[in-house]
Amino acid sequence: MNQTLQANPPEPRVLVETSRAVPLVTLSVTFTQGSVLDPEGLLGLTRLTGRLMRRTGGGLSADQIDTRIDTLGASLGVDVTHSAISFQGTCISRSIEGYVDVVKDVVAKASLSEHEFNKLKSESQAELLSMLDSDQSVARHWFRREMFADHPYGRPTGGTLVSVPKLQHGAAVEHAKRTIRRGNLLFAFAGDINPEQAQRFAADIAAVVPSGASPEVEIDEPRFVSGRQLVVVDKPDRTQTQILIGTRGSHPKDADHTALHVANTVFGGTFTSRLMHEVRSKRGWSYGASSHLAYDRRRQPLSILTFPKAEDAAPCIELQIQLLEQWCEAGITQTELDWAKNYLIRSHAFSVDTASKRVSQKLDEVLYDLPKGYHEEYLANVQAVTLEQANQAVAERISPKDLLIVVVCTEKLVGAQLQAIVPNLEHYKVIPFNGEVQTETKT
Amino acid sequence: MPQSPELDADFTRESLLEQVNLDAPEGGKIKFLECLPFGKALTVDRYQLANGLMLLLIEDHEAPVVAYHTWFNVGSRHEQVGKTGLSHLFEHLMFNESENLPAGEFDRKMEEAGAEVNASTWLDWTQYSSSLPKGQLLTAIPLEAERMAHLVLKPPQLNSEKEVVANERRFRVEDDVDGAVNELLWATAFTEHAYRWPTIGWMADIEGFTTEDCLGFYRTYYAPNNATLVVAGDIEPIVVLRAISQNYGPMPRAVLPLEDVRPEPPQTSERRISVEKPTQTEKLVLGYKSPAFGDFDYPALSLLGEVLAGGRASRLYRRLVRELELASEVRISVGPFRDPSLFELYVSAREGHTAEELLAVVEEELLRVREQPVAQEEMDRALARNELSLLASLETADGKASTLGFYETVLGQPTSAFERLAMERKVSSSDLRRVARRYLVDTQRTVVLVVKDDDDDDLEPNSSSDSDVEAA
Repeated sequence: MNQTLQANPPEPRVLVETSRAVPLVTLSVTFTQGSVLDPEGLLGLTRLTGRLMRRTGGGLSADQIDTRIDTLGASLGVDVTHSAISFQGTCISRSIEGYVDVVKDVVAKASLSEHEFNKLKSESQAELLSMLDSDQSVARHWFRREMFADHPYGRPTGGTLVSVPKLQHGAAVEHAKRTIRRGNLLFAFAGDINPEQAQRFAADIAAVVPSGASPEVEIDEPRFVSGRQLVVVDKPDRTQTQILIGTRGSHPKDADHTALHVANTVFGGTFTSRLMHEVRSKRGWSYGASSHLAYDRRRQPLSILTFPKAEDAAPCIELQIQLLEQWCEAGITQTELDWAKNYLIRSHAFSVDTASKRVSQKLDEVLYDLPKGYHEEYLANVQAVTLEQANQAVAERISPKDLLIVVVCTEKLVGAQLQAIVPNLEHYKVIPFNGEVQTETKT
Repeated sequence: MPQSPELDADFTRESLLEQVNLDAPEGGKIKFLECLPFGKALTVDRYQLANGLMLLLIEDHEAPVVAYHTWFNVGSRHEQVGKTGLSHLFEHLMFNESENLPAGEFDRKMEEAGAEVNASTWLDWTQYSSSLPKGQLLTAIPLEAERMAHLVLKPPQLNSEKEVVANERRFRVEDDVDGAVNELLWATAFTEHAYRWPTIGWMADIEGFTTEDCLGFYRTYYAPNNATLVVAGDIEPIVVLRAISQNYGPMPRAVLPLEDVRPEPPQTSERRISVEKPTQTEKLVLGYKSPAFGDFDYPALSLLGEVLAGGRASRLYRRLVRELELASEVRISVGPFRDPSLFELYVSAREGHTAEELLAVVEEELLRVREQPVAQEEMDRALARNELSLLASLETADGKASTLGFYETVLGQPTSAFERLAMERKVSSSDLRRVARRYLVDTQRTVVLVVKDDDDDDLEPNSSSDSDVEAA
C-alpha cells in the first residue's frame, strides 16, 4: 500500500437526482478515501474521526447537534468503508437550508474536542463488545479478517477491541486534517431538490472545506485464500452455526464480471437458486442460503452464507462444496441462464425506483472505480451474456479447491465433524469468539 | 358546462366498475366504497368484492413498479395453546405447491417476472408482499389468487418447512440474546391473552404440527372475507379491477369463527425475573402495560416514547449513554397492536455495569416525566422525527402498500397514518404527563434483568489453536 500526495485535485463533483415523490431530500457528502488510511496499529481511526466530526460540528456539543438535527426533521449519519468517509442523511425538504448548515458545520467546522473524543472511544469499545452478541456479525468479522489476511480490506473499519483503546485524540485531529480535503469531496443529492439548488449547496459546503487532497492510497489486488482452510470461531452454547464460505471473486472491471454475476444468480442469488433449493427447500437445513458477489475498488470474494443447526453443519458444508464443484465443472444450463437474465433485467426496476437509489448508483461508479456507465449499461450487458461466457467465467474465476470456511459454533460440539467433512482440508484454526479481548488480556 | 374534477373522477370510476362487473363472477362484483386522501398528492380508492375481499388501489406513476400486498386478518393471537406458531408456519407453507402449480413454481414464476417477494406474520396479522415491474402485475394476480384458494399440503413439504422454521427460531430466539429475552418478557407480562406466546411459536409446537392442523387453519382463515388486497404504484385501475374480479371472484366467503379473546386481567404488582445468558454485557428489559393501537392514549404514549428514547437527543440516551456512560444502547417501542400490549424499554449495559444500575436511572427519568411537564421543544423534536419517519416509509410503492395494509388490517382505516401524525400534533405536555402517570407505573410492569452466563468461562484465555491438517 503506497500513499502519494495528489497535485491539483479536481473540483468536487455534484451528482443530483430530482424527484418530487415525497418532500424529502437525501444528501451525501463523501470523501473518497476511507479506512484504508488507518495507520498501522490504529485500526478504526478513520471511523472514529468521522464520528467525532459528526458530534462536534460547529463547535457545538454532541447533544446540541443531535437536537438541531432532530428539530429539523432530519437524520445524519457517518458511514466509513474501506474506500470512503460519507456523511449522509435525509431531511424534510422544508428544512434543507438549515440542514445544509449543519452538514457544513460537521464537515468543515468540527471542534474535534478531546472530551468528546474520549466519550466516543469508550462508546466505540462498548459497541464492539455488543457486536459479539451477534453470531452473524462475528462470522462476517472473522471471514473478512481471514479472507484478506494482511491486505487493507481485512482490517475492520470499526477497529478492534485491541486497537480502539490505543487511539489518541491527537491522532484523530491529525487524521481529520489529512483526510478531509476538498480534492476528495464528492456530493450526491436526491429527492425534492433541483440541480441548481444542489450545486449551490455543494458550493457552499465545499467553500469551507480545506483545499488540497488527502494522500492517494494505492491498494494492491488482494491475494485470496489458497487451498482449503477451516476457521472455527468458538462460542459457547450455540444450538446453531453461522457458516460463511468464500473464494476468489471478481471486480466489475473484469471483462467476465457480468457473466459471473448472471451465473451466480443461478447458483445462490435468488430464493429459487440451486443453493436455496438444495439447502432450504429440499432439506430444511437453513433459514437462509445465498451467495453474494460484492464490489469495492479491488476484487472481492464470492461469499456463501448459511446457518444450519449444529448437527447439520457438517453435512451442510459438504453439500455446499459439492454444489460449488458441480457449478464449476458443469456450469449452468441454457434454461437457467434465460431465467436468470429475465430475473435480473426485470427486477432491475427496484434498483432505480427511487431518486436516492439512482444517485447511489452514480456514487458507486465513482467510489468503487466501476467501468464508466456500469449501471446505465447494466441491462444491455446482462442481456448480452451467453451460456459459454457464463460458464467460462465460473470455471475461470471460482476455485472450489481454494476455500475459506468460517464457522461460528461451539467447537467441542462440532469441530471434529467439520474437520472430517471437508475434503483436502489444509489448515484448521480455532479462534475464541472474543479472541481479541483475550489477546489484549495476554499483553 | 364542464364538470368538476371530482365529478369526473366519480363518473369515470362508475363507468369502469360497470364494465368490470358486466362479466364478473358473482363473488367478484366490485363495489366502490370511498376515495381517501393519502398525503398531499395521492388518493386511495377503497373497494369491496361481493365475496367480502377488501381492495385498496393507489395509482402512483412515480416509478414503473407495482406493489401487490395481501393482508390476512389472522396472526398468532388466533392460535391455541399447544398450536402456537401455526400462523407463521403457514406463511412459509404458502410458498409451496398448489393445485395448478408444482412445488417451487410460485417462486420461480414470480422471480422470472422480476418480482421481489416476501411475507411476514405478527400478533394480529399475516401479510404477503410482492413488488413487480409495471408490466408483470398480471402474472402475479392469478398466482396470488391460486395460492389463496388452492394450496396443496403434503407431509414431505410440511416436514421440510417445519425444519426451516425451527432453524429460523434458533436464529432469532435460541441463539439470540435479545430474541430470547423479548420472548421471556411477553410470556411473563401476559397470563391470559394470546399475546403471551411468540409469533414464531414454541419449539415443541412447531415440531408437532400435522397436515391436518395446517389444512384446518387454511380453510378457516384464508378466505376473501378475511383479507385485504393492496395494489400501489404504476397501475391502470380498470386492468387491475378486472383481473382481481376474475381471479378472486370465484372464491367463496368463509364462515369466520368468533374470535375467542381472553382479555388480559389488570396487572397489580410488578413481575421481575433475572436470567443468565451468554452475553458480553448485562441488559435491562422492561414492559409496561400499554393501550391498544386504536386507543385515544396511544399517540401520546408513542410520542412520550420518542421523547424518552427516540434518537441521540432523547432523555434516556443522553443520561445512560452519554452522561453516565452506563449503557451502549437504549430503545423504546410501543406495541402497535389491536389489543393492549406493552411499552417496551430495552437497555444494553456497558462492560462493568449492571442491569440494576440501569434500572435505577431509568426509574429516575420515568419519575421525571410523571412529575414534570415535557418542554414543547422536546415534543416538537419528537414530532419532527415521526414525520420524517412516515415520509421515508412512503418513498417506495412497497412502503405505501405496507402502510395502507397495516392500518386497514389493524384499525380498519387505511389512510390513518397521516391522521395519527395530526393527532400527535394535538398532544399536549399535560397529555404526556397523564399517560406517563397512567401507564409507566411499577405495578404494571415486568422487569427482565439479563446477567452474564458463567459459561463464558468455558473458554480459556488464549485458547486459539492453529494447526496444519494433512490432506485427506
